[in-house]
Amino acid sequence: MSGTLQSVLAPHGPQAGQIATLAWVLFAFGAVILALVIATIWLAIRGTPHIREALARERTIMVFGLALPVVTLTILLFCGVWLTRAQTGHTDDAMRIEVTGEQWWWRVVYDGPTPATSANEIRIPVGQPVDFTLKAADVIHSFWVPSLGGKVDMLPGRITRLRLTAERAGVYRGQCAEYCGGPHALMGFNVIAMPRDEYEAWFVREAGPSAAASTDVERRGQSLFMAAGCGTCHAVRGTGAAGAIGPDLTHLAARGSVGIDTLPLTADNVARFIRDGQHLKPGNRMPEFRIFSPAEQTALVSYLMSLR
Amino acid sequence: MSEPSQARLAGHPNRLPRPKGELEALEAAWERPKGWRIVTAVNNTVVGYFYVGTAVLFFLLAGILALLMRLQLAVPSNTFLSPETYNQIFTMHGTVMMFLFAVPVVEAMGILLLPQMLGARDLPFPRLSAFAFWAYFVGGLIFFGTLFYDVAPSGGWFMYPPLTGAQYSPGLGADFWLLGIGFIEISAIAGAIELIVGVLRTRAPGMTLDRMPMFAWTMLIFAAMIAFAFPAVILATMLLELERAFGWPFFMPQKGGDALLWQHLFWFFGHPEVYIIFLPAAGMVSMIVPTMARTPLVGYRMIVVALIATGFFSFGLWVHHMFTTGIPALSLSFFSAASMAVAIPSGIQVFAWIATIAAGRMQLATPSLFVLGFLFIFTLGGLTGVMVAMVPFDWQVHDTYFVVAHFHYVLVGGMVFPLFGAFYYWAPAFSRRPLSERLGKVTFALMFVGFNVAFFPMHISGLMGMPRRVYTYPAVAEWGVLNMISTVGAFLFATGVLVFLLDLVRNLRPALSDPAGDVWKGASLEWMHNHVYGPRSVPLVTSRDPLWDQPGLSEQSKEGRHYLPGTVTGQRETIITSPIEAVPEALQRLPGDGWPPLLGAVFTAGFFMLLTVKYVMLAFVSGALALLMILVWMWSSDPAPLPRAEIGHGIKVSTYLSGPRSHSWWAMVVLLVVAGSLYLSFVFSYLFLWTVSPQVWPKPGQMPPSWWPILAATLLAASSGLILLAGRFLPSRNGVAFIGAIAVAVLLLGGSLGADVLSHWRAGLRPDADAHGALAYMASFLQFQLVLTLVVMAGFAIARSLAGMLNLRRRVVFDNLVLLWHYTVAQGLFGLLLVHGFPRIA
Amino acid sequence: MRIPPQLRIRFILLAGLAALLLGFLFMWSGLYSVAASRGHWAVTEWLLTFAMRNSVKTHAIGIEVPPLGNADLVTLGAAHFHSGCAYCHGAPGVPISPIARAMLPPPPDLATNMRPWRDRELFWIIKHGIKYTGMPAWSVQQRDDEVWALAAFLRRLPGLDAAQYRELALGGLAVPPQSGQSLATSETTAPAVGACARCHGAGDARPASALVPILHGQPAEFIVASLEAYASAQRASGIMQPVARALAGDDFRRVADYYAALQPPAALERPTDASAIARGRALAENGDPAALVPACAGCHGQEALKTYPRLAGQNLAYLLNRLRLWKNGLAPATATETIMAPIARALSDRQIEDVGAYYASVDAHAGARR
Repeated sequence: MSGTLQSVLAPHGPQAGQIATLAWVLFAFGAVILALVIATIWLAIRGTPHIREALARERTIMVFGLALPVVTLTILLFCGVWLTRAQTGHTDDAMRIEVTGEQWWWRVVYDGPTPATSANEIRIPVGQPVDFTLKAADVIHSFWVPSLGGKVDMLPGRITRLRLTAERAGVYRGQCAEYCGGPHALMGFNVIAMPRDEYEAWFVREAGPSAAASTDVERRGQSLFMAAGCGTCHAVRGTGAAGAIGPDLTHLAARGSVGIDTLPLTADNVARFIRDGQHLKPGNRMPEFRIFSPAEQTALVSYLMSLR
Repeated sequence: MSEPSQARLAGHPNRLPRPKGELEALEAAWERPKGWRIVTAVNNTVVGYFYVGTAVLFFLLAGILALLMRLQLAVPSNTFLSPETYNQIFTMHGTVMMFLFAVPVVEAMGILLLPQMLGARDLPFPRLSAFAFWAYFVGGLIFFGTLFYDVAPSGGWFMYPPLTGAQYSPGLGADFWLLGIGFIEISAIAGAIELIVGVLRTRAPGMTLDRMPMFAWTMLIFAAMIAFAFPAVILATMLLELERAFGWPFFMPQKGGDALLWQHLFWFFGHPEVYIIFLPAAGMVSMIVPTMARTPLVGYRMIVVALIATGFFSFGLWVHHMFTTGIPALSLSFFSAASMAVAIPSGIQVFAWIATIAAGRMQLATPSLFVLGFLFIFTLGGLTGVMVAMVPFDWQVHDTYFVVAHFHYVLVGGMVFPLFGAFYYWAPAFSRRPLSERLGKVTFALMFVGFNVAFFPMHISGLMGMPRRVYTYPAVAEWGVLNMISTVGAFLFATGVLVFLLDLVRNLRPALSDPAGDVWKGASLEWMHNHVYGPRSVPLVTSRDPLWDQPGLSEQSKEGRHYLPGTVTGQRETIITSPIEAVPEALQRLPGDGWPPLLGAVFTAGFFMLLTVKYVMLAFVSGALALLMILVWMWSSDPAPLPRAEIGHGIKVSTYLSGPRSHSWWAMVVLLVVAGSLYLSFVFSYLFLWTVSPQVWPKPGQMPPSWWPILAATLLAASSGLILLAGRFLPSRNGVAFIGAIAVAVLLLGGSLGADVLSHWRAGLRPDADAHGALAYMASFLQFQLVLTLVVMAGFAIARSLAGMLNLRRRVVFDNLVLLWHYTVAQGLFGLLLVHGFPRIA
Repeated sequence: MRIPPQLRIRFILLAGLAALLLGFLFMWSGLYSVAASRGHWAVTEWLLTFAMRNSVKTHAIGIEVPPLGNADLVTLGAAHFHSGCAYCHGAPGVPISPIARAMLPPPPDLATNMRPWRDRELFWIIKHGIKYTGMPAWSVQQRDDEVWALAAFLRRLPGLDAAQYRELALGGLAVPPQSGQSLATSETTAPAVGACARCHGAGDARPASALVPILHGQPAEFIVASLEAYASAQRASGIMQPVARALAGDDFRRVADYYAALQPPAALERPTDASAIARGRALAENGDPAALVPACAGCHGQEALKTYPRLAGQNLAYLLNRLRLWKNGLAPATATETIMAPIARALSDRQIEDVGAYYASVDAHAGARR
């Protein structure tokens, strides 16, 4: 499982932890009630006449059908309300990250003096509460990282919020949970929780421009990148490429995946996604670019893989 | 001769021997059309058979879609289906199962069973049920056919905008959904009106509400819930279709609309929908359990209270489908509480059935097995329902396979298992041979095991993070094994259904008269000797379990010793009884078979479908033909009053009722409830969008001058006054005054609508500019629909008056016109107040 | 004699089967002659014509006719008629080939003898062809716009004399008389059938029809790639595919180099709606990110890849037609169409007009600025 976590029952944050505890309580409650119902049915069919006579009264209905649910459900309800409050309370000590759901990728903006834009991967420091500001650019999406907490919908024209905290370093997979058409199934992302010092070092790099192309091949790749029009959709900060339509590629090579979580980041996969994106992720908004000669493709990919 | 009182209802109303030729005349009146003309039949048994058969066909079709999805998901990164195909298939699976199977099949069972169960000859508006069926049949097949032309909708069965708006779903798919489903909803409402009036006004004499079979109770509540809930989704589909076609921005945030409005409207319908499906199934269980246990139902009144409570609560928890939309915690808690509260009435019912089982000796025949399977699966589904009502837990599992598992446990467990039990239970009442017990048990075993193998693992895959509506998943996610198990289970379940079909082929021999009959020794009236016209004579009921408590009832009825042993007028007839005490009030003549309902439905379907593919001219031709068919059919309704008719020895009842005692008046009142509910949904939409985007509402200075709405209101009030006046002219021989009053009233009504629209237009308001503009014109649009109906009805009344078919006594046509008229005026006045007044004070 | 009904049905069935069998035996024997030299029987001829006329009329119902008086449309149609149709159907000054005349049925001389078809019926015949007559379908079924060009020309054809026809079909191209040696030793075809310049212009001459793109100054790589795409039938055009097929070997490169080296021709008239041009310019330079439309200039400016076309100073009608073809669903087939088609679909009708107006208004000498 390559160390990624995507499960409600493997919580790695306080929010997910509380809910997992609640889940186990609920499962136990459900098992008991189900056993009770099965046992009474069994007794109603196969029980001794004495037991059956006792069951065959309206009192049975009053006790098991009315009183028992009222009591148990009231208790559960109070737990639920308390937990709801606990999870929706917001304080100001959190860091902020804005995530926008778009068909079918995630735009990520780290709040800061100069906001740093990234895509399809979110890095957070371990132990730090993070307030996610959630938006949608086109249709409704839903932001969900099961191992860290519950989901919140991203609604066009509205702003929703979600607080998550990762208790341990690791890679937590998230996925769009509200059907958003086309390749909704492939709209995933990773949340990477890092120790604070590593995070801060990473963030300094992330907020800055990408390294300038250093070899001839990379420079050729860069000029191809510009001439082929890649920069009209994608931004590479520090170069002329300032497109805002697709994911920001400034630090593409420092991310873990290409094609929005569909492929691990390797030079080969970058090339495949450029040529064959519609087969790897059918319906995605980037047209396939099959116009490059093998040499051009190598140059372009070398450039992209140099964007750290 | 006085009306028969409760006291006179004792004993046998008729004496033997019956006159010669009485039975022959009865059979002649009810003779069903032969050969292919059977499609013109309107009798509930024939239509019920068609209806159930069609619903089962859609169950099979949607089931095949489910199997295709399970094949695609069996292994990770599968390429068996393309994403676009998969998205169409899951959308169609949900839509067809909910709108073309679950609701229709329940309605169909009601149409098939209720008259027999209530001791009626037929439902009060046979042609309406035929119309509802054919509309559903034609509309449903066309809708399903879109899959083969690659124009099926792909927005999910709840069609959330903006994904389903014109920008993100170009093409006809979403339009087919909106117009097709809107149309089928109208058919469902037609059926609901039929069922409400049928249950309340055509019960056997003596069958008070307190003695009514539980299935009839559930159908009554079912139909009432349809009348309240479906208008919300009809309004929503109208809004979205107007947005798609003309750009009226109800759901576009850029222009003051809001995507959440759709969710509120949809789930205000969608949540009750679950109980709309479940309650009748629970009613079936409440019929099967006592028979199988050979003992009366324990806790009858508690169950009735529980049913009513379920119906009531179910309207208060639609927001639990929206827990993840960022709604404030306080409302979350309220709706969480309501969601839990609705579990309690279900608990009452479950334990009432258990108590009944304990009170008797359960015979473990196939229907009992399905009931036991139902109890297990539904209880589990109910428990996961309680879990998802817990807001924080729902944040995790919402829109995952956990929820997929939950609602299949509730819907398949709560509805399909009882339904299959019902098929096995009631087959002998409608077939010359009962279904096979051996095959039935195999069916049950396969379905029960298959279901749990298919759906239980989905709880786990959901908790492991698998969202719903994904056409594939990567291998790294480790959901492969669970999904493979689910796929195997789905095919086991399908095998069970296949065995059931085999059983149908081998044993189902449809019989409208002389079916296999009372093989289970049941207590309710459908187990009497029944024919296409129901019982030979309508029994006098004195108990909740008449066949158990009134020995010999079946034979007496067959001999003709009870009410209406023949036909008084030579036509089809049924007895209209009072709604609560079931005292016979009138003899209702029923229409015979004919083409208008079928053709009317085909042309109505044609209107909607041609409109969808934008053949506007042809659509209006088709619509005009539909209207013509409906007018032809209406013309022969409301037959002339006859002398009082003798339905029992010395017991005479009226042959014509008008005013609040008329069954037609009741139907119109239900229709007004539907219209009112639709309008309330609109008012909610108006106020909701105002709270979201008050900035697009005009300042008082930008509003049309206030004398415009005052003029419109005056015209409205005057038209109502004229209609009252027309009622005064009704007795006089001077038809001119009557016709003149109605004609002028129509002009005033149209003028008021015109003035209102004109005032907006002149004030510079445009429907596609912003949400406020769209809503203001929407109020006029809703009003326009009623005005159009009134124009047709007024023309109809004038024609009837000219033909001498409308007078002081024969006045139902006019009574109905008056009811709808005053309602329209009231709605119009309210609309003026809202659209012109609210922006001034807000 | 009374035959019982069951027997009657059996008799009809058997008779039908026997007739089928006899027919099959007749065919199998080869006695039936398929010779075109023999002609049809009069009754067969009448039946076939009757069926054909009614089939065309029925199938053409519901086809919406665009305005056909447009000179650009007529000129484009004339040029294609000259190379694609005149061989069989003749034209003013161009007799029907004797070989074509020996077909069964002989192709009608459209210059003198055209049935009074309705516009939509002409369109249907050109697009779908007619079975058993040798009339081919349009070789590319997705290009109704081209079919309409030919239909528009056919409407003009009856009134033309030989000189007018030549002017229209050859686009004013002067074809020098060939020497005896040249006639004797090279291919001879109808005058200038394959000449690019008839449609696209050459030297400082603009294309004869504004529906035809200006190739002057386009990158040679772009022209070669387009010709290759036409020749391999990837790019849809019933007009260009046969032309590209007829070129061979190095022809693509040489003709491309020729056009690439030409100076853009002087503009006749430029769009004047200043606000549309301004909106188009904003779109070309910045795109419309909310609608997922990238800046046009990123791929169509001077520094862009040479496989991309330059748009500055291009014919307005051509630009609009091309964008609308994609927007109305033309499936992209070539590598560059695959990139452009989704962008064209994301444009609104208004944006198409704006951006077309902008590019048509730019002075190609200056080049579109990045």
